[in-house]
Amino acid sequence: MEPTLHTWADRLAATHVSMWLYMRPWAIATSQSIHIVMLSVVFGCAVVINLRLLGVNAGGRSLSTLVRTLVPWIYGSLLVLLATGVVQTVAEPVREFVAPAFWAKMAMVLMAVLLTACFARAVKRHHERWDSASSRPRSAVLIAVVSLVLWIAIIFCGRIIAYTWEFYA
Amino acid sequence: MTPHLILQALQNSALAAAIRGESEPIRLTYWLFPIIEIGHVLSIALVFGSVFMVDVRLLGLAERNSTVTQVSREILPYTWTAFGCAVLTGSLLFVSKAEQYVHNLQFQLKFLFMFLAGVNMLIFHRGVYRRVLDWDRALPPPTGARIAGALSIMLWIAVIFMGRWIGFTTNQ
Repeated sequence: MEPTLHTWADRLAATHVSMWLYMRPWAIATSQSIHIVMLSVVFGCAVVINLRLLGVNAGGRSLSTLVRTLVPWIYGSLLVLLATGVVQTVAEPVREFVAPAFWAKMAMVLMAVLLTACFARAVKRHHERWDSASSRPRSAVLIAVVSLVLWIAIIFCGRIIAYTWEFYA
Repeated sequence: MTPHLILQALQNSALAAAIRGESEPIRLTYWLFPIIEIGHVLSIALVFGSVFMVDVRLLGLAERNSTVTQVSREILPYTWTAFGCAVLTGSLLFVSKAEQYVHNLQFQLKFLFMFLAGVNMLIFHRGVYRRVLDWDRALPPPTGARIAGALSIMLWIAVIFMGRWIGFTTNQ
C-alpha cells in the first residue's frame, strides 16, 4: 500500500499546480492561516454545544437554539477547511500522503461530521425532548464526549503531521 | 538586568533547552514543543471561535433571536478561560527562543494586533456597552457596537495570521 501512496504523491507533486504552490511558501502559509481561522469556528461551536450537553450553562439558551445557530456555521467552515486542506495537500502531497497522522485525521473528520449530522437531525426532530436535561437521551453525554475528543484529536493530528511526516518519507 | 540579559537568561534556562528538544532524553523532549504548540492552537481556536460568536451578534448578522447580553454572558467565559491557556502555552513557546521571537517582525505585529484588540474591547465596554440594555434586542445594533464587532474579528484574524507566520520566519 505504501509504495502506491508514494507513487500517487510523486505524480501529484510533479504537476504544474503543485510545483507552482510549492515554490510559494506565502501561499501555503496563507492557506494554513485561513485553515486555522476556520477550524477555530468549528472548534468553538463544537465546544459550546458539547459542553452544553454536559451541563455547562444549563440556564443559558436552549440546546436546540445552539444547534440551529451553530451547526450551519460548522458546515460552512468545513467547506473552507476542505478547500484550504486541498491546497495544502496539492502543494506538499508527499508530506500529507506518507503521514499516518494525515489519514487518521481524515478518518476522524468523517466520523465527526457524521456524528454532528446525526446529532443535529435528532435535536431538530425532537427538540422538546433534547432541550430539557431530564428528558434527554442517556447517549447525550457519550455523544458530547466522543465529539469533543474527535475534534481535539483532529487538531492534534493536523499539527503533528509537520513533526512526523519526515519519519515516513 | 537589561531586557537583553533577561531574554538571554530565559533562553539559556533548562526549561527552554528542554522545550527546544535539546536536553536528554531527546526522543522525549523532541515532543515538548509540538505538544505545547498543539495546546496553543487549541487555546487560540477557542479564543477566536468564541469571540467570533459574540462579534457576529454585535454585527447583528446571526443569532438574531438571542440578546447581546445573553450571548456574551454565555460565551465570554470560554474566551477568557481559553485566553488564559493561550498565554500559558504561548509563554512556554516564547521562552524556548526568546531572543529570536522579540526580534521577529511577525511576532511584534502579533502583539500589536492583540494590543489593538484589547483597546477596541476597552472602548466598547466604556462606551456603547454601558447602555446595552437599551439596545439588547435592537436590530441592527448601534453603529458603535457594529464597528467594535467588525474590528474585533479583523484584529483576531490578523493575530492568527501573524502567529502562523512566526513559524515560517524563525528557525526550528
